[in-house]
Amino acid sequence: MTDANALLLALAIPTIATFLIAASGSRPNIRDGISVVASIATFAVVLRLLESIMAGARPSVTLVEVMPGLVINFSIEPLGMLFATVASGLWIVTAIYSIGYMRGAHEKKQTRFYICFALAIAAALAIAFSGNLFTLFIFYEVLTLSTYPLVAHKETPEARAGARVYLGILMTTSILFLLVAVIWTWNLTGTMEFRAGGILEGNIDPAFVPFLLALFAFGIGKAALMPFHRWLPAAMVAPTPVSALLHAVAVVKAGVFTMLKVGTYIFGIGFLGRTGASEWLVWLAAATILIASIIALTKDDLKARLAYSTVSQLSYITLGMALANQMGIVGGAMHIVMHAMGKITLFMCAGAIYVAAHKTKVSELDGLGRKMPLTFIAFTIASLSIIGLPPFGGAWSKWYLLLSAADAGQLVIIGVLMLSSLLNVAYLLSIPARAFFAPPRGQMAHSLGAAASPSKGWEEAPLFCLVPICLTALGCIALFFAVGGIYEYLLSIPILPETAP
Amino acid sequence: MTDQSNGKTEGMPPLARLLSGIDKPRNVARLFYLLLAVCVALGLADFFYSKHGYFAVEEFPAIYGLFGFVVYAAVIFLAKGLRLIIKRPENYYEPFAIDTEDERAAGSAPEATGGKPNA
Amino acid sequence: MPEIGTPALVYMVAALIVPFVRPATLRQILLLAVPVLGLLTFWQLPYGTYGTFNLMNMHIGLMRLDALSYVFGLIFSLAAFLALLYAWHVRDTVQQVATLLYAGAGLGAVFAADLVTLFVFWEGTAIASVFLIWARRTEGAYATGMRYLIVQVGSGVILLAGIVLFYRETGSIAFSKMGLESPATWAIFLAFGIKCAFPLLHNWLQDAYPAATITGTVTLSAFTTKLAVYALARGYPGTELLIYIGATMTLFPVFFAAVENNLRRVLAYSLNNQLGFMVVGVGIGTPLALNGTVAHAFCHILYKALLFMSVGAVMYRTGTSKASELGGLYKSMPLTMIFCVVGAMSISAFPLFSGFISKSLILSASADTGHFFVWLALVVASVGVLEHSGIKIPYFTFFAHDAGHRVKEAPFHMLLAMGITAALCIGLGVFPSLLYGILPYAVDYTPYTVTHVVTQLQLLLFAGLAFAVLIRTGLYPAEIRSVNLDFDWTYRRLLPAALSGVAYLVQGTWRFASRIVMGRVDSLIAGVYRAHGPQGPLARTWPTGSMVLWIAVLLGMTLVLAYI
Repeated sequence: MTDANALLLALAIPTIATFLIAASGSRPNIRDGISVVASIATFAVVLRLLESIMAGARPSVTLVEVMPGLVINFSIEPLGMLFATVASGLWIVTAIYSIGYMRGAHEKKQTRFYICFALAIAAALAIAFSGNLFTLFIFYEVLTLSTYPLVAHKETPEARAGARVYLGILMTTSILFLLVAVIWTWNLTGTMEFRAGGILEGNIDPAFVPFLLALFAFGIGKAALMPFHRWLPAAMVAPTPVSALLHAVAVVKAGVFTMLKVGTYIFGIGFLGRTGASEWLVWLAAATILIASIIALTKDDLKARLAYSTVSQLSYITLGMALANQMGIVGGAMHIVMHAMGKITLFMCAGAIYVAAHKTKVSELDGLGRKMPLTFIAFTIASLSIIGLPPFGGAWSKWYLLLSAADAGQLVIIGVLMLSSLLNVAYLLSIPARAFFAPPRGQMAHSLGAAASPSKGWEEAPLFCLVPICLTALGCIALFFAVGGIYEYLLSIPILPETAP
Repeated sequence: MTDQSNGKTEGMPPLARLLSGIDKPRNVARLFYLLLAVCVALGLADFFYSKHGYFAVEEFPAIYGLFGFVVYAAVIFLAKGLRLIIKRPENYYEPFAIDTEDERAAGSAPEATGGKPNA
Repeated sequence: MPEIGTPALVYMVAALIVPFVRPATLRQILLLAVPVLGLLTFWQLPYGTYGTFNLMNMHIGLMRLDALSYVFGLIFSLAAFLALLYAWHVRDTVQQVATLLYAGAGLGAVFAADLVTLFVFWEGTAIASVFLIWARRTEGAYATGMRYLIVQVGSGVILLAGIVLFYRETGSIAFSKMGLESPATWAIFLAFGIKCAFPLLHNWLQDAYPAATITGTVTLSAFTTKLAVYALARGYPGTELLIYIGATMTLFPVFFAAVENNLRRVLAYSLNNQLGFMVVGVGIGTPLALNGTVAHAFCHILYKALLFMSVGAVMYRTGTSKASELGGLYKSMPLTMIFCVVGAMSISAFPLFSGFISKSLILSASADTGHFFVWLALVVASVGVLEHSGIKIPYFTFFAHDAGHRVKEAPFHMLLAMGITAALCIGLGVFPSLLYGILPYAVDYTPYTVTHVVTQLQLLLFAGLAFAVLIRTGLYPAEIRSVNLDFDWTYRRLLPAALSGVAYLVQGTWRFASRIVMGRVDSLIAGVYRAHGPQGPLARTWPTGSMVLWIAVLLGMTLVLAYI
């Protein structure tokens, strides 16, 4: 199998899976089985591609030429490969988790759910592999549309309202800003191709660079940069697996991935750094990090709190791009991985809590840790990773973002990242801490008596929910120790223009 | 309350029985005078050996003893003064502190009521 | 033992196994074996750096064994063993695992040869230790734990920022002598200072330690702050600023301790004051002073643990550690009383007790280098130590007025732990050469000279006499149930009040502004609505299908426009 075929296969498997799932809708076991098998097959193909990429191959396939110079093209480079690996790898986990969750929560219309899910993954992979802005834009919109039914899944008035905000903001920003930015870019350079070192240098008046960057930054609404972040909390009406994979991994990561990709391959990091065009974005990202964290502190709804945490964490990645140096790209890309692993665990825990105990509010969780210890241990581990503490993966991405800020001479940004860690402690760790250690609401515990109270047996979520949670939690730890390889890999993201061979 | 224990040594561990009555006023007075005598002896001891100090002040006879006495008293009086400024009811930081928690859990809230929870 | 990189690994592995070990006794034995095994991994190892590898172009060294880290490794192992023995009765898995992870992280940090490893274990101590507070499982302990964690993680992130800047400045992450030269080293200094409870950064200590479980406090007292002292001794020896910071640290807690009612908080203030002595030693930075710091940390861990153990045993039996509620306990817990007195005499530095042979090194070093006022401060502080730890703790717990508690003596394992610790305190005091032999620099120091013994006894006994006089005249301040304000008031009361004020203002402004803007928008929409009518294309809800169409149309139009 050539790399090009593998690329197409990786896109084809989830697409074909949608038809198979649709066909087997009446038999839930087969339907769910197909979704798991498809996820595993996709991941296997993606891993095969990863191997080639690491060996230096850069496969490229052109599907259609819409008009001269405007082609649907897929070509893989390290950054996209990373995103594809994360999205497809975590799809397996979520596919298994969905079985436990959807059945445990007695959700309706599960077939539609699995169809849209597979479609969204296909779109995410297409985004990851897209070889030019045009392709990226098309699949960016496909991803938005395919996830709309997932967000509105419950078909309640709240779900519809949430989904409307979701679609409204993502569509509006992408058409008003992103499309304009794409066309402007095309106009300036005559190409839409992603090229190492960027395509804009020399083709644009430096004075306009900040404006073009602003069109991109706000156009990529999926990156949830304030003030266009509202769609993300609104999307929390979706069933939890959707929140887990799509709003912690595929959709939002598609946003920040696009951000990194545009920064690296359209503007060029060197060009951004020299013109200082991204300076304002540094500050906006920093503000988003802090403001979203503060809002998260005030949220009592567990998923809303996690959503604002995501808004804050996504801006880490945007920040990495905006700092415009190699460490920023390394840190930002690494944060895609680390945050995905941590946040998917958190969302799956939130879902497990809902399935097992029917609780959605943080304030209702006191003492629940005794009943669901594994879930809350996983929650603790993932929280620590997101905060950026060792020995969990998140510590490293934070390390590189800090290095990047140091390289850029932005001492204030270092302070922002530090402060953000503390805010994360306050809004994330307080959840498992209360679950494990707080006495039940309204009761006073005596310091000598409380610790001795016996545990009353476990009431965990179904195994289909629990196993994925434990796997991703262990993943957070494993990533800390496996970082050497990821770092080496990320260094292969081309920062400078390739010298002519 | 000290007197309750007089003659009631049966339930005590052997070691405690050995010490029992140490807090009787008479014994306390004896201990006090013993301490006084030891102090005087220590003060006088300064005249019988050659002192090797680092600073000139150390040569003064019994300077350490006098210093210790004065500083101790000064610490206590300063602390008493400090207490006037910093003392607050025990439930001042409630409910975010452990200070009166056990009493509240046991149902015997402290008499201190001046504080208000900053919830 | 095979060489395994860092003794922390033993603790980490054990922490993974412990939750699954049944029955309870087997688990306790395993727990006690961990510090022993950990010690064996570096006990006989020749000095050098172990566990070195390259990680992302950084030279990592997991274990640097030299004279300085060896002593701290030794005492940390010993402290872990004693704390676990003292906690034999604890059946709470959370506390057992947390103790192992915490002690392991402490050891790992002490042996770290590079700043990244140091950071990893530095945060490790922060995370693991907070569970010892939360394990009390009360509302107040939860809140206190959060405060503690934020301060500790704060120290960690400042350290991280410092390391990042340091790495960018020097290209190296080696952990060696730094000095205060750049923002990087200042940040690292500040991080160390938070954990070391520098003045104004100290309140986490007095806040958190009394809130931990009984056994948790014993464990907490050993590692975090002494790790900070070690880190200062490694990175900032001879930094003059430390002398004055240390001198302040020895003095101010004395007054707070004197009026504090909760005896475990008194001990926390006392801990703060003892740290001051060590910090002064680091600041002076001569071989004698550094020896003094190390020796004092060693002895201090033992006698402070002993004091926390004895007060803990009292709390275990009576349910309180408040001086106002205690007294007369020598009748019920005479052995505990004796161990407590041993601890009290050790911390007060009576001759033949361990504090005497370690504190003298620092005092002599300060006098040797001609720091008269610093030396004077240390002597004053020594009197203060006698007041709050030497007299107040044993007197109000075991003597004073009889509070009427008639309880059993402490359990056997607690007595055993206290007994061993007390024996070590006396043993080190009687045979100082045992400790002097392992100090980082060659020691030529005789603590037991006539002058030294007599003057020290004078100082202590006359101060004791002052106590007796004050008690007899009724001038000694009564133990009152109260809390005392300290610097933590600023972030427990002032800051929340200020923030809620700001939040109120922001919210009010926001509401006002949005009402005006929304009013405008509403009228605008109403206008549009009127213009296009209810059946107009803009009034329809957006079905997904037509959305795709719209995009296609828009895309096409813009393309056409672009070609024109």
